[in-house]
Amino acid sequence: MVTKQELIDFETDIANEFDSAHIRAPIHLYNGVEEQMIKVFEKVDIKNDWVCATWRNHYQCLLKGVPKELLKQKILNGKSMVMSLPEYKIYCSSIVGGIAPIAAGIAWAIKLKKEKSHVWCWVGDMASETGVFYEALKYSKNFDLPITYIVEINEVSVLTPTRKVWGIESEYSEFENKYIIQYKYINKKYPHAGAGKRVQF
Amino acid sequence: MKYHDELIRSMKMLSEHDKTIFIGQAVEYGGTGTYDSLINVPSEKKVEFPVAEALQMGMSIGLAMNGFIPVSIFVRYNFLLLAIDQLVNHLDKIPLASNGEYKPNVIIRVSIGSEHPIHPQEQHVGNFSSGLKQMLKTIDLIELIEPDEIYPAYEFALNRKDGKSTILVESADFCKVK
Repeated sequence: MVTKQELIDFETDIANEFDSAHIRAPIHLYNGVEEQMIKVFEKVDIKNDWVCATWRNHYQCLLKGVPKELLKQKILNGKSMVMSLPEYKIYCSSIVGGIAPIAAGIAWAIKLKKEKSHVWCWVGDMASETGVFYEALKYSKNFDLPITYIVEINEVSVLTPTRKVWGIESEYSEFENKYIIQYKYINKKYPHAGAGKRVQF
Repeated sequence: MKYHDELIRSMKMLSEHDKTIFIGQAVEYGGTGTYDSLINVPSEKKVEFPVAEALQMGMSIGLAMNGFIPVSIFVRYNFLLLAIDQLVNHLDKIPLASNGEYKPNVIIRVSIGSEHPIHPQEQHVGNFSSGLKQMLKTIDLIELIEPDEIYPAYEFALNRKDGKSTILVESADFCKVK
């Protein structure tokens, strides 16, 4: 499996490419979530399982077995936000909450075909508060679909504080059950999009 | 054959393909003309779905990405509008985002609400095809005007190999007069 340091080094490389004006599309870089992500992937069947994620997806792709060179080329081609890699059973959406029902549908197909694989679907905390996520989770639970939603709590959507705008007073907790793994992380290195420098083309 | 008979014939044809699955409201349970058109579809092919249009469209996409050809049924055009994100931002754009590597084929069946002999007022009638066409880049939208257009259109939607999906727009009023 890809190591924590390899994940960090990959994002650093992409940040440098972005700051050098080699990527004419937004990028969303991870930092601070390496250990939690690796722990989830210890459960993932790399060959047979599906991974669904959001606009921030480089770590999932690397851990799912996508070669660094291929992933980097996709990013250089501007596809970071909409990573689609059927060969690796990866699909990502850059619409908040948009990935959840699609992931549920993939899981439904697995169940209908009586396959053994599983869907792992990443969303952020703002997406986890949306109606469509709630519907997808409810359907998945009630029909026992082979899917686990991973909710990454960084407390913001871009810079909008999730709990404040929803009027949620209690803190998010970290927990794990059959259908949800929820963990917190803080990205101290990168902004929501880009790598922190103004890029002039 | 008449308009409604052609719909029945088309649904039977779709159901004979081993990858199709019919999902939506009034698929297993009666109450609409759509249900009547599915009388020859085997019950094991039909899944009654909650009223959750975005979820329905999204799960149709997921089914299609993983090997099925969902026939996703929206009994009123107005109700399809609740699934616009999944339709426009996702299903329509997947062939572009994936450079054609993902080839989801979803058959979307939608009906323009009947205005005769009773008019259900503004929220259950309307043809939104011209506006929808402007939002779509890959999905074909076919309006089913005459009875003899129906079967070939569904046959095209089922057998297309270009990795694109199809919306087929029916008219509830045509079922009574054509």
